[in-house]
Amino acid sequence: MANQSFTKNVLKKATIGIIIGVILVVAAQQTHFPQVFQVMFFIYAMLGAFVFILLDAPPMKRLEGVKAVGALLVFYLLLSGMYIAGASILPQFDPTIEAGKIEKVLKRRKAASEQGKADELIARAKALDERAKTISKQLASLGGAAKVEVVEVTGAGGGAASGDIVALGKEQWELQECYNCHKLFGQGGKKRGPILDNIGSLMTPEALREKILNPKSWMAEGFDKQYKKGKMPDKYRDLMFEEEIVALVAFLASLRDTSVETPKPIKMN
Amino acid sequence: MKTLHRSIWMVLGLLMGGAALAYAQVPAPQVDFPYSGNRTAVWVVANLHILFAAFILGAPIFAVVAEWLGYKNNDPKYDRLAKEVIKVTVILYSMTALTGGLFLFVLLGTYPDFSTWLIQHFFLVFAVIYPLLFILETIILYTYFYSWDSMKGSLKGRHIALGILLNIVGTVTLFVIDGPTAFMNTPAKAAEGVSLVEFVSNAGLWDKMANYSWMPLNLHRLVGNVTFGGFIAGLIAAYMFMRSKTDEERSYYDWMGFVGNMIGVGALLLLPFMGYLLAYELCDYDASICPYMMADQLSMFFEMQGAMIGLIFLASNYYIWLSLKRIEGVENIRISGFVALAVLVMPAVMGMAWKMFPPPEWQSLIYLAALVFAPMLLGRVPGLKNFTVSAFTMIKIGFLMIVVADAIWMTPHGFVPTQGLATHDLELPEWAEELALMPAKNAAAFTLVFLTIVNYIMYNRAIKRGTIIWGKIDFASQFVLIFLAFSAIWTMGLMGTVRSLTRKYFHVYNLVPDFTPEAFTPTLSYSAWWITGVTIVFYAVVSFAILVTLKPASSKAQAH
Repeated sequence: MANQSFTKNVLKKATIGIIIGVILVVAAQQTHFPQVFQVMFFIYAMLGAFVFILLDAPPMKRLEGVKAVGALLVFYLLLSGMYIAGASILPQFDPTIEAGKIEKVLKRRKAASEQGKADELIARAKALDERAKTISKQLASLGGAAKVEVVEVTGAGGGAASGDIVALGKEQWELQECYNCHKLFGQGGKKRGPILDNIGSLMTPEALREKILNPKSWMAEGFDKQYKKGKMPDKYRDLMFEEEIVALVAFLASLRDTSVETPKPIKMN
Repeated sequence: MKTLHRSIWMVLGLLMGGAALAYAQVPAPQVDFPYSGNRTAVWVVANLHILFAAFILGAPIFAVVAEWLGYKNNDPKYDRLAKEVIKVTVILYSMTALTGGLFLFVLLGTYPDFSTWLIQHFFLVFAVIYPLLFILETIILYTYFYSWDSMKGSLKGRHIALGILLNIVGTVTLFVIDGPTAFMNTPAKAAEGVSLVEFVSNAGLWDKMANYSWMPLNLHRLVGNVTFGGFIAGLIAAYMFMRSKTDEERSYYDWMGFVGNMIGVGALLLLPFMGYLLAYELCDYDASICPYMMADQLSMFFEMQGAMIGLIFLASNYYIWLSLKRIEGVENIRISGFVALAVLVMPAVMGMAWKMFPPPEWQSLIYLAALVFAPMLLGRVPGLKNFTVSAFTMIKIGFLMIVVADAIWMTPHGFVPTQGLATHDLELPEWAEELALMPAKNAAAFTLVFLTIVNYIMYNRAIKRGTIIWGKIDFASQFVLIFLAFSAIWTMGLMGTVRSLTRKYFHVYNLVPDFTPEAFTPTLSYSAWWITGVTIVFYAVVSFAILVTLKPASSKAQAH
């Protein structure tokens, strides 16, 4: 009897869930939600139905011994599978895209770091050389002789940037992810930073450089809140090499599309 | 003769110097973890260590509160509950130390340069303060546990004071070790005109400890640990309820599960706001972290987080529902219909309020206060106070709104791994963009919190007016308790992963780059596999500790 009423309950709630789901899908279609959101709304309706089925479900029978252990293991497997599947169904970011970007961003730093290590080794070798020479002299004065070979360690130098400077600047735009806050060529950015399509007509290269290195030096008209909150990070002076800054400035200075309304820059300090 | 001696010493010196040089020139073999790679190995061990650490810090808070309640209300059940939780804590304490040591070895072996760099910057913390605090905590924990039976009666107050001292030391330990962790996310911000490298090189220990995300991380972890402690107490209760042979035992563990869940949920209510505070500080430190989390590589991690939080709120409220069902007389409990109305309009009203007045602007609080207090006031107005709904109806309306709030929380701007790839057929229509913004998410979070509070208020009324029959709860409730503990641990793993990944390709954000080829954001799917693995290992160890430490029969004998 209880089973029959539970089955009825399941059918009733599932039917209501499907009806609500279909209504939501139709409403979403009419209001121009893409298909993926329509599916999502249907899933929520079914989740609601599932919750209401559970609310009126009959009490579960007590499990003991092996049955309880078995039920627990199945439950854990189910949960694990559910969470892994849930996470895997969602769109996945391709790590190789980021890995390539990181390699480019860190290339110079890595070279500089290795150069730093090489410099340190050279300094150590020189110190050892001095010590060895002193000891050799002392030994020579005692009648002995020692020949100390000093291995010269040469550092790895970073290659100079080459190619079109504006293209290199565009690459910096991508690598430093400026597009996350600034809209350019109709892509990226939301409301965090101003559109920059015509920034080259509004700011000199010197001013652009000043803004990148010291974000508080200029403010875009209409972006008072963002300016006050210090939304533009002041990290680029630490993270970017001189050549990279020069390239980025050259790229920004080349942006002169007057058809796109670009907020007016205001000199602050 | 003297010259000969000096010559021999010189030659010996040179030989030793040469040997030392030769030793130094033998390169240390590269450590490469098979299958997982080095970074994932560090991640797994760190995650495991943090879970054990969270338990041994969270459980004593839970235990001392329970002990105090037992002392205050002269209820031995609370005292037994506290002691059982501490018993499991003592067993797991060694696991915390073991995984901590393992973490240190793995980190030193895989990232020797960076590890040395970090240890040197926080030498006083790692070499003196932290070990001393850990030793002190160990002494107090063992004293607290082993003096339980001897410090009864008039000495009980002192025993509780010992428990409070344990928690103070534990909290200080947490705050101290959070310093280097938070530093890796938000190293000290340089003064204007000074480079970060230069600033950090000359900064004192306190400048590095008291960084942007330190206090928000402390608060987030502290509240998270209490939540964790509560849910693990619920897990202990569920296991023991299933093993119980007598009604008396079932009655006790049913009650313990309820208390564990209540404390876990109570702390959980604060957790979204603590998480928000941490995210706010991270974004305030560097605004580019925000799009990375919310719109770029980590956006789907937050989508998963939304799903997990939604499930946890659904489950904790379902547990209240099952608890209510075993109360005789619950059908007579009613609540003002204005509360139901307030709940129905809450996501929309609060979403609009936070859009007009985003935090920290205070005006939105007026709307919030109106929604919370107006139903109470209207419910007392003659003529309106008869507008009531039954407890069951209210909870069903509540569940409907929990699903709605979950849906809002989980609606992204676009179903894409990064917004850079968003196209019209994958993103919200322009008119509905607000659904994906923070005001809507805050409103959803607040609705979940408010509904849970309303459910507990009704539960309290039901207990006062009806008769609760402990031990007669639906058996499914035990699976709900287990689900809550498992999901809470999984979510902790996920959010820990997010916090760590916000450093992007740096060991220390913007300061020490990670030059290894693994320095990219892993996919959510890959992360989920490892998080699940860590959760299962942790769960297996905790389950083993519970089953070995606690036995219904011995507990019964002890109670007698």
